[in-house]
Amino acid sequence: MVQEFLMRLIEVDPVKAGLLAAIGAISAMMANRGIAVFHDGLRPLIPEHLEGRMSRKALAATSFALSFGLIIGFGIPFSLTAPIILVHSLLLGTDVIGVWCSNSKKGFVLSGVIGAFYAVALLTGLKSVVELFAMLPVNFMTNLSKVGDPIVVCFSLFPAVVVGYQYGYRKGIWVLVATIIGYLATQSIGTLSFGGFIEKPVKLDPNGSALLIAMIAMFYFAMKQRPPETTGDQKGANEMLVGLFSSRIARIQKNKWLLVLSGGLTAVAATMSFSLLAEGPVSLQLMAQGEQNGALLVALARAISFVPLVGTTAIATGVYSPDGMKFVFVAGLATNNPWIAFIAGCVIMLMEIMLLAKIAIWLDKYPGVKACGDHIRTAITRMLEISLLVGGMIASNAILPGMGFMIVAGIYLLNKTSKRPLVEMAIGPIATIAVGILANIFYIMGLG
Amino acid sequence: MKFVVGGQIEKEKIAESIRTLAGDKATSVVVMNDIEAAMALKSGAVDYYLGACNTGGGGALAMAIAIAGMDRCVTVGMPGKILSDEEIIAHVKGGKSAFGFTGQDIDVVVPVIITAIFS
Repeated sequence: MVQEFLMRLIEVDPVKAGLLAAIGAISAMMANRGIAVFHDGLRPLIPEHLEGRMSRKALAATSFALSFGLIIGFGIPFSLTAPIILVHSLLLGTDVIGVWCSNSKKGFVLSGVIGAFYAVALLTGLKSVVELFAMLPVNFMTNLSKVGDPIVVCFSLFPAVVVGYQYGYRKGIWVLVATIIGYLATQSIGTLSFGGFIEKPVKLDPNGSALLIAMIAMFYFAMKQRPPETTGDQKGANEMLVGLFSSRIARIQKNKWLLVLSGGLTAVAATMSFSLLAEGPVSLQLMAQGEQNGALLVALARAISFVPLVGTTAIATGVYSPDGMKFVFVAGLATNNPWIAFIAGCVIMLMEIMLLAKIAIWLDKYPGVKACGDHIRTAITRMLEISLLVGGMIASNAILPGMGFMIVAGIYLLNKTSKRPLVEMAIGPIATIAVGILANIFYIMGLG
Repeated sequence: MKFVVGGQIEKEKIAESIRTLAGDKATSVVVMNDIEAAMALKSGAVDYYLGACNTGGGGALAMAIAIAGMDRCVTVGMPGKILSDEEIIAHVKGGKSAFGFTGQDIDVVVPVIITAIFS
């Protein structure tokens, strides 16, 4: 067993493994020192510990409770369908590792070593599971990737849903119509050759351009919404926050270089050429299908939606995220060159940290943008729930005709009655993997 | 009793849920951004804070913990785990006033919290 695992370790591309190990080590070390944690819910607990109101042991137990379910029930299943690592599986793990190691020099070094080992184990483990699945008598790996099929088209819908949430059904429908027109128009234009001026015609991606049009409409509505007229020098909520927690902002800025390095390395891992890490389930599926532009736009929208959340939690706690506001993933997807991605990732991270207070105060002027960010995450979750459920049903039925539909629907409906429910949007992938294993059991029993 | 809905996602759904469950017993149910909501709780302008996010503890409670204090906050539902009704009731009786959960837990936990508050 051990030998087999070590053999797999050798098979993995050493550059990729090394890169991931470095990201794992740095993230775990930053979690150990309370410089940065990935889980937004763990961030507010770090100062509770640092300022002596919460023991290390309680913090470690809480971090495990917060992250374990997400790694197993969300990170891993999505990582298996691609296979590209969903960043949650890596960084929620390094959060736990960093916090579990003691708050000493030895703990700091140890967290780095375990973090690196965890990252490599994740990479080889996923590879092994995928290879194991491929060796089974009923190979369901090709069908498993069908789970993501609806996402590749449905992702351009989310701005319409966001506008619907924020400004009502009617405006949402208008954005939906604009999205569909954008799709049809780009499809009919097909490729642009600019009258033969350029050698290689540019192929327009209908989904990508539809999404771009819809995102412009979404941000237009959000930017138009201004705060109510205030009398005198009444401060906005974020400005008050910055005033209350200025020492905590200074703490993040003091620790900027480890964060900058982590941002640069993550950007490299997120390039299409490396395809090691993805920021979310949607861009992960798009990357897996080679849709770079779509993945880029979705990552950009998600990063914008995370600015208020990551920004305000960071300011209030003095703890940042190893990936910052997630713009480093956009940098990775925008370029295929690892060196340019590294530099871009570093610069973006440095700017985020130095401009943290300014960004927050600026956001006070655009309350629509903050609300829009909340709605973007709600809308993407909703879109994922429905398209992955349908994708899961299609994939499961391809694996186990007839019964596949029933099993996925059954798991989805019964999950709602559970006190330990699965993350709803992960049901499609999880149920499909279960159906694939079941198909093999049936085959072995001679029932297939 | 005065309620404020903070957190990050599904705010209208939570507010509607509180209004339906509490009826006239809730003198006010307002939706605010998470910072303002946490400040309202700290200053005593409202009695209870409810919020949701995708993890139950991040966007849902981060500002409440940072501004109003950890001892007033509890995550009652997180991915893969919802506290039992007895545990939720014990937290309400024990004086917790800010509750965080995930969007998909709303229908399960909000009725328990509201019933416990008014019993």
